[in-house]
Amino acid sequence: METCLPCLYAALTSIGFAMVFELRRWQHILAAGFAGTAGWLVYLLTADAMGVVGRNFVATVAVAILAEIFARIFKSPATVFLITGIIPLVPGGGLYYTMDALIDGNMALFAQRGVEAASIAGAIAAGSSLVSSVVRILPKRKRVPAGGTGK
Amino acid sequence: MDTEKLLNFTCEMGRSLLQNGAEIYRVEESVHLILKSYGYQQTEIFAIPSCIIINIQGGARNHNKAIRIKTTANNLHRLNNLNALCREICAETPSMEIANQRLRQVMAEPPYPKGISYLAHIMVTFFFTLLFGGTLLDAAVSIPCGVAVKHTVFHMKRLRANAFFTNLLAAALLTCFPLLAIAVGLPANLDMVIIGGIMLLVPGVAITNVMRDVLSGDFLTAVTRLAEVLIVAMAIAMGVAIPITAARILGGFWM
Repeated sequence: METCLPCLYAALTSIGFAMVFELRRWQHILAAGFAGTAGWLVYLLTADAMGVVGRNFVATVAVAILAEIFARIFKSPATVFLITGIIPLVPGGGLYYTMDALIDGNMALFAQRGVEAASIAGAIAAGSSLVSSVVRILPKRKRVPAGGTGK
Repeated sequence: MDTEKLLNFTCEMGRSLLQNGAEIYRVEESVHLILKSYGYQQTEIFAIPSCIIINIQGGARNHNKAIRIKTTANNLHRLNNLNALCREICAETPSMEIANQRLRQVMAEPPYPKGISYLAHIMVTFFFTLLFGGTLLDAAVSIPCGVAVKHTVFHMKRLRANAFFTNLLAAALLTCFPLLAIAVGLPANLDMVIIGGIMLLVPGVAITNVMRDVLSGDFLTAVTRLAEVLIVAMAIAMGVAIPITAARILGGFWM
């Protein structure tokens, strides 16, 4: 229950975002929701194993792998599912608490929160690019000339 | 094949891709592949988020065009269709009239009706507030936040306001609702509601794309996007800070 409910929320957040970004076909919207859920599930399950930056990194890797798989299935760019899938991980909370510390004039906390939020953003960027660079050097077995390619 | 027409078409294709959220390498690669499938081997394409330059060497002379990109929106449905269209064009190499017509068809598809779009925004704020640990009451308070963000972004885009001002205003407006709720005495959590609301504004797309651009060698683009991330984050923080500070000062008078 403790993991089920947040995962459901993560799915609905990603689905909402898919619609904010005008994704139309229901298969794509569901896939986006699934990617979001998987990312959040990994984030929750690794809670004991590592720090918050590491968890975001691993979760992003999971989302990115799923996004590449969905991209192959639906023959659409992986960014579509990546953007919508990582949304629950994006450090909106970190941004808020950083700002909050600044208003309070607590510079030590401000620096701590700020670095944490920036590190999470960096972890997300690194995780997604790690997967896409691995995928790009994998051998291709495509026959059709791929315009913009499937990744 | 008329090279000038092909040049115009590929410019429009590049512009459409870029404006709907494609990465730089996708824009460059797509244009390159289209030109190649029409038999032009000697081509140079340079794209950054605000500009595309295409050069085709056809016969004795160079055909060259640069276009300036001003607005961008993330329309992933169009991005999907444009990607599919690129493949079709590479495979079938239709005449320029048909290609242009298909491109216009893809771009003419209207966005979601307003109601659904508002609903999607509300869905994001509502469930994100819950995801972050807010109560049902917090989530309910975040509903008008979603509406306010959608409304502000929509109208500011119409007024051609810049990203900084748009995000600042949207963040400031959405912060007013939880403050009001607390002022009337509802036990809402200020942080949960605001975080749920600002998730609609945080530049998740740019954050994801920064490193991808670095890896594909587009450092200029990466720097541009990084600047975008910082500017938008700053605007959101300032937007949220203004009403909170104002409320604290006013609250000092009330209490």
